[in-house]
Amino acid sequence: MIELHDLALDAPDGRLLVQGLGLQVPRGGNQLLTGPGGWGKSRLLKVIAGIERPARGTVRVGGRQLWPGDGVLSLIGQVRLGFAFAAGGLLSNLTLRENVALPLRFQGVPPVELRQRTEAALDRLGLLAVADLRPHAVGVSARKHGNLARVLALQPHLLLLDDPLEGLDAEDRAIALELVEGWAADPACTLVIAAEAPDAFTHLEAERLQLSPAPVESP
Amino acid sequence: MAFLARLGAPVRGFLEFLGDQAHLVLRTLRHALLLRLDQLAVVGGQMKLQIRFTGLDALWLVSGTALLLGAVTLIQAFSQLSGLGAENYIGALMVLIILRELGPLLTAVLVIGRSATAIAAELGAMQLNGEVDALAAHGVNPYQYLLLPRWLGVLVSVFALVVFFDAMALGGGFLVAKLKYGVTFGFYMDSVRQALSNRDFTATLLKVALFSGAITFHACHFGLRIQHSQTEIPQAVTKTVVSALVAVFALDGLIAALLYF
Repeated sequence: MIELHDLALDAPDGRLLVQGLGLQVPRGGNQLLTGPGGWGKSRLLKVIAGIERPARGTVRVGGRQLWPGDGVLSLIGQVRLGFAFAAGGLLSNLTLRENVALPLRFQGVPPVELRQRTEAALDRLGLLAVADLRPHAVGVSARKHGNLARVLALQPHLLLLDDPLEGLDAEDRAIALELVEGWAADPACTLVIAAEAPDAFTHLEAERLQLSPAPVESP
Repeated sequence: MAFLARLGAPVRGFLEFLGDQAHLVLRTLRHALLLRLDQLAVVGGQMKLQIRFTGLDALWLVSGTALLLGAVTLIQAFSQLSGLGAENYIGALMVLIILRELGPLLTAVLVIGRSATAIAAELGAMQLNGEVDALAAHGVNPYQYLLLPRWLGVLVSVFALVVFFDAMALGGGFLVAKLKYGVTFGFYMDSVRQALSNRDFTATLLKVALFSGAITFHACHFGLRIQHSQTEIPQAVTKTVVSALVAVFALDGLIAALLYF
């Protein structure tokens, strides 16, 4: 499902984060990316999703070349992708319900099924009470759950989760973890998780990759 | 060599900007052709929002400005041409000054001030908040969801606003002509109709199409280029206003040269 070859990532300030990275995640496989903050985990997820360009290297997802190439535009309509962002990512002028429903509406899902999938996802994440509020009007955990609800309703083949448990209290954490474990057990889902503190995922059956900073080149 | 490089840098920057604009327009057109029927409702909904903000909400502002401008134009004209049979030139004056030039131009300026700034700021904020990335990652094509409906919305709005502007300016002019010279509505409209030609309609339609494209894509270009911090948003808005104004005036000059020179 995911093939990375000789990948190099740089930070916005030009500092090299990752160099010469090769990675293959088979269809239905689970991959856990770990490492301290600022070492390129989130950036790597965005490169795999095709929304950020790597400094070097090739990225193929679902048999389609993203980089070098058109990035995420090559995936639209080809690979159903769900991305739970660590922060932001929900449209601020839409309610949580509309945020969850938008990708489905754009996919052309029939209205009855759209409503069922949206409501089921919001219910599963405990968001029905705040579903008609916009992201700025709800707390951090509701925004994070909103991201997960959007992914859940989409029923994607490839899931990219950026620190899905960070900043959640015990109850919200349990809901999110149960959902992640369900995806990890589903052979139709390819799962990539980036986590700064991977302790919560110790019992998850997944390949692990510890990102380490690229060596600083001497002048 | 350094001197030549200093001379060449702005030219290169300008050509790159033109290239970016062309790229944005062509990509939006290409993705517009890929729209499926079941996606039209979503895109149409966004377009309606844009029409409401750019067109409907600006109606009173444009109407008031046009009414005053039409009246002031004839007051000034009469003050200069009184005794020379000014009432015979009413139609030609209104067509030359308002319908041909000021109608589309001032409408574009008002739309730049109200809507281009809003589009640039909104897209910039969306970019910073990761919303544009999130849309694309979840299969919602940003060209189809963000750019196309804004372009079409501004196009429809600018067309409607120019028609309103012209109508209200003619109304303002008529009020002055009636009060000053007792001109009848029939005489006034005949005079305007005689001065109007098909070329004026062509020029207006051309201006509406080109101005709305320039306004939207300048705003989208500067808004979507925001990457790092919120302090970039006011800078992008300022660049949008300056750049879109220059583009609109340049296009206006080009159309005048092509059609009337």
